[in-house]
Amino acid sequence: MAPPVGSFLRPERFQLPNGLTVLLAPDAESPTASVWVWYRVGSKNEWLGVTGASHWVEHMLFQGSPRFAKGEIDRAVVEVGGILNAFTDNDFTAYFTTVPREHLEVPLGIEADRMTRATIAPKEVERERTVVRSEREGNENWPEFRVEEELYALAFTEHPYRWDALGYPSDILSLTPEALRAYYQRFYGPRNAVLVVTGGFEPATLRRDIRRRFSRLPSTGEDPEVHRVEPPLGGIRRADLAGPGTTPLIAMAYRAPAISAAEAPAALVLDAILGGETRLFAAGPMWGRRSDHPTSRLYRALVDPGLAVRATSEWRPRLHPGLFTFYAQAAEGVALERIEQALLKEAQRIAADGPTSAELQEVRVKVREGAALSYEGSTRAGFRLGYFAMLGPPGLERRLYRQLLAVPASAVKQLARRLFDPRRRVVIRFEPVAEAVRG
Amino acid sequence: MAEPSPLVVEREEIDDGLTLVRQAPPSGSPSVQFTYIGPGGTAYDPGDLAGLALLDAELAVLAAGPWDRRALARRLDSLGATLNSQPSPECAELSVWGPRDRWRELLEVLAEAVLRPRFDAKDLEIAKRQLVERQLREATQPDSRADTEFLEALFPSSHPYHRSGIGTRASVGRIRQADLRRFHGTHYVPGGAALVATSGAPAAALRDEVRRRFRGEWAHWQPVSRPDGSASPRRTVSDRRLAMPDRTQVEIRLGCSAPARSAPGYPALFLGDEVLGGRPLLGRLFQHVRERSGLAYHSSSELESMAWGGFWVARAGTGPERAAQVERLLREELAAIRERPVPTAELDRIRESSIGSIQLGLETTSRVHDVAVEVAYYGLPEDYYREWPARLRAVRPSEIQEAAASAIDPEATVLVTTGT
Repeated sequence: MAPPVGSFLRPERFQLPNGLTVLLAPDAESPTASVWVWYRVGSKNEWLGVTGASHWVEHMLFQGSPRFAKGEIDRAVVEVGGILNAFTDNDFTAYFTTVPREHLEVPLGIEADRMTRATIAPKEVERERTVVRSEREGNENWPEFRVEEELYALAFTEHPYRWDALGYPSDILSLTPEALRAYYQRFYGPRNAVLVVTGGFEPATLRRDIRRRFSRLPSTGEDPEVHRVEPPLGGIRRADLAGPGTTPLIAMAYRAPAISAAEAPAALVLDAILGGETRLFAAGPMWGRRSDHPTSRLYRALVDPGLAVRATSEWRPRLHPGLFTFYAQAAEGVALERIEQALLKEAQRIAADGPTSAELQEVRVKVREGAALSYEGSTRAGFRLGYFAMLGPPGLERRLYRQLLAVPASAVKQLARRLFDPRRRVVIRFEPVAEAVRG
Repeated sequence: MAEPSPLVVEREEIDDGLTLVRQAPPSGSPSVQFTYIGPGGTAYDPGDLAGLALLDAELAVLAAGPWDRRALARRLDSLGATLNSQPSPECAELSVWGPRDRWRELLEVLAEAVLRPRFDAKDLEIAKRQLVERQLREATQPDSRADTEFLEALFPSSHPYHRSGIGTRASVGRIRQADLRRFHGTHYVPGGAALVATSGAPAAALRDEVRRRFRGEWAHWQPVSRPDGSASPRRTVSDRRLAMPDRTQVEIRLGCSAPARSAPGYPALFLGDEVLGGRPLLGRLFQHVRERSGLAYHSSSELESMAWGGFWVARAGTGPERAAQVERLLREELAAIRERPVPTAELDRIRESSIGSIQLGLETTSRVHDVAVEVAYYGLPEDYYREWPARLRAVRPSEIQEAAASAIDPEATVLVTTGT
């Protein structure tokens, strides 16, 4: 099957002498321009005592730099009608700003300034401490967050994937401004960053502007190898959680390969067959996620017969080996033991029999058609180009796409058989507690 | 010739009273979107079947015409399309999005969902289970619980905005296939409905295709009576503090009723909300509660001016030990916007930001489509959004203060806190 017309951008790519990688994808008709800066730093680079530092630094990069005093970054962008935000992942941190195209110089000026010269003043760090705490506390009110945090804590004993990007509460309370600044100075800088600009701009002019603004920055920013290698799971690890919630939840996970593994395309297909989501190549006006996939195996095995209200799987592309997770939320009155047995059965079934040819064909259709409109809008285009740049070498998206359309049933079966060992898994069960709300 | 602006829509009545609202997509956009908006919102739920309108819309986009739920999912996958429903009190909204060159097939899918939903027994059972879980979620999550309690405190039980539309366990349990078919037959009708089309299809071709799909399908429809939205919001202070044990964050809502979207003072109140906390990052609540005081991760405001009135609410979420301080700041900001005119420099900054953001809304088909849906939903003039910047620029600080003072009665504010 031929790749869909207009699906993949082929950005102009160049590198400045200080190491900054630049990706440019102009769209002459776009009324907007989107600037993304991706840093190869995330919670994978943290250690005990500084967990959550990547995320906290992300907050601090909105709190001032030499050219932009506190509050001026937000003001400069929003006053011209733009939007800006950032997010921190285990593997990377990304900042984005989308503005009406005639204001492209605003985000470029901000990013060039805060790439190496964010202020990170002690007073602002202290003020932001409660904001970061509050963000984490808001998440803790969700059973899904608690389950996922426990899942990774139990699945990993060595690798930094074992803590969430928000960090441990104790580290949020104790991290010092000096430690935060040192973290920033070590990992932030052109050498560890990818600048992506998409949308309405004139390439030659922008190229000159980028060289003028970014070439003078020092060649800083480490991307150290994460050496911690997680030992194999030696058995079944379980945790039972309880708290306010709706109906029981379960997450069951197996260790899974990294995005760079030869098995990655098969993992994506396996995930699409079990949970329904084609993840990197999904159709939709925004990020393309759907809540229900009635054709998926887990939906048919758990939601159809009334065991669960939702059931899905997730293989999240990561730089280091991660997890392949089954999630289900029980229907009222259904015990989690039954849900776990049903999930195990589905894992064993695909490991024993592999996917059907019809299922493979359905995944191919979803991938092909989902990819067709994946670059609409400068913001989304900037996200995709940067995201794939974080995950692997240039051309990764096109390669994955081609491979996904050619994954044979035997590769999916072989991977399922290797991953889904019922004696080596992690299971987190969440039971809601009965409560009386007083008011 | 200049391309038509997505900010101006064109309306025409097609057949049986169905209005076709046409809008140009962004230049070069590869996608199209169509939305049916009809008088089948949650406000139309029969008294003992709360949740019916929501289930109807959700099931209509799950299985329709020749497609059961799996066949429809496969059909959408093969088109690279999505089909969604949007719950709201006044209207039912069913919307399909997909590639430009498949627009006729997308319209066919939407027509099937509007005209021939299947309401299969199995699908109904699954949807009911999911809806009951959602009811539990709204009751147990401090943020959604705070929003629900706020509306219940503000609007009397006879007002359509009093209830959230998700019903109760008992009301959802009573809903049968026959109820869905009856409700759909009487509320998904052409009268008072619009088909909003954001596509590059030529007007004549689009009109023909809409006629082909919908004409003659509504043989015996009757106009739908509007629910009674005349009951006044409560005019007394309400203070609801719900102790929800073992939550790490307290959610706070402080607000009041607001005039309907059609009210002449809407642009002034809109700007008042932008200043208070509606404009991301620049609003006073974000600046004071988060940026200056470091007290909360989220703090903002929302003005919802709808068909039968609305509400204006300040929101924040914070740890229990900081809740009292945050509540005090929210009160101070509501008082300030009511009692003092917005300084000109601040107003200019917020206003130009708001106007400037319109251009960002032209980035993708789905975003410009939202503009046309809003115009259709509220019956706004065709050039409403083209003229919107001029309307905003005409607002004076004194008008904002007047609008805020009229909306925020200190003797009629509603406070809700949920959490530990």
